[in-house]
Amino acid sequence: MRKPWLGTAALALLAGTGLSASNAADAAETPAPKRVTVTGEIIDSWYLLSEIMFAQGSAHHQCAIWCARGGVPVGILGEDERVYVVLTMQNDAAVLGNQGILKAQTNKVTVEGNLYERDSVNYLAIDKIVDDAGIVN
Amino acid sequence: MKTFEKLAAVALVAFGAVFAAANFARAANSWNLPGEEALRFDAKAIDVMCVLTGDCPADCGAGKRVMGLLRDTGELVLAIKNAGPFTGTAHDLKPFCNQVVTVDGLFTVNYSVKSFALQFVKPKDGDWRGANAFVKNWAAERKLDLKDDKVKKWFRNDEMINAIIEEQGKLGLKDKGITP
Repeated sequence: MRKPWLGTAALALLAGTGLSASNAADAAETPAPKRVTVTGEIIDSWYLLSEIMFAQGSAHHQCAIWCARGGVPVGILGEDERVYVVLTMQNDAAVLGNQGILKAQTNKVTVEGNLYERDSVNYLAIDKIVDDAGIVN
Repeated sequence: MKTFEKLAAVALVAFGAVFAAANFARAANSWNLPGEEALRFDAKAIDVMCVLTGDCPADCGAGKRVMGLLRDTGELVLAIKNAGPFTGTAHDLKPFCNQVVTVDGLFTVNYSVKSFALQFVKPKDGDWRGANAFVKNWAAERKLDLKDDKVKKWFRNDEMINAIIEEQGKLGLKDKGITP
């Protein structure tokens, strides 16, 4: 039996959450996330990827703080040599210029979260910091 | 050649120069990046979390969330860097949240990650603007002129940065007694 109210309720729910039909379609193009545990160094993604300067360890600590404050997305260089772009930290998506994330630059961490792989970028939505060993590099 | 013809020829050359300048003056400058490719394209300015998960605040996160560019082809582009010193693109793109803009910049590929350095952005019915909004906003919040030395070196004058560097040291090893 058809239940037209289901469609209406779904639309109301979408409107209530601010999720447009267009954005829902965009989300549908992304493969389902994988649950992952990642260990690596919190890095300044731009200088690592651009190779404009050496971008790991304590030698790059101050510069990494500058970039994180300036809104360059923070990443994690995993022990698997993959670069993960951080979208959330402990479920908070307000990651750009976030003071807590600035303070964690260059630290070696182990985190858990959802990995979204799309168009040659590994996006990581972190919901839990399992370990923070501080700066070890 | 008659005077009229000379004037017409000069006008034609001038028109051509203006037309060329309008179309190409905003072409991206090379930064010698790994796998660099300069490109101008149209795309929707989006909040990456919104596109990937459906979690969509109305304002794309007001500059606090990672932003990207969604092309007609469905390609989601990570807009990692703008044209300012040590600054990203969220402040450049947030005014155009979920709107189509024309962007000009450089793709780079490294660690198998493809990302985009935004140098110029143009709203659909607007003019080209340099992608340097973070610094402009930083100056405006402090009522400083853009030519002020404090603005040119915003990263050495930012209150949050200076407090963290004071606490951790430039190397982040102050708690271990190591400072430069």
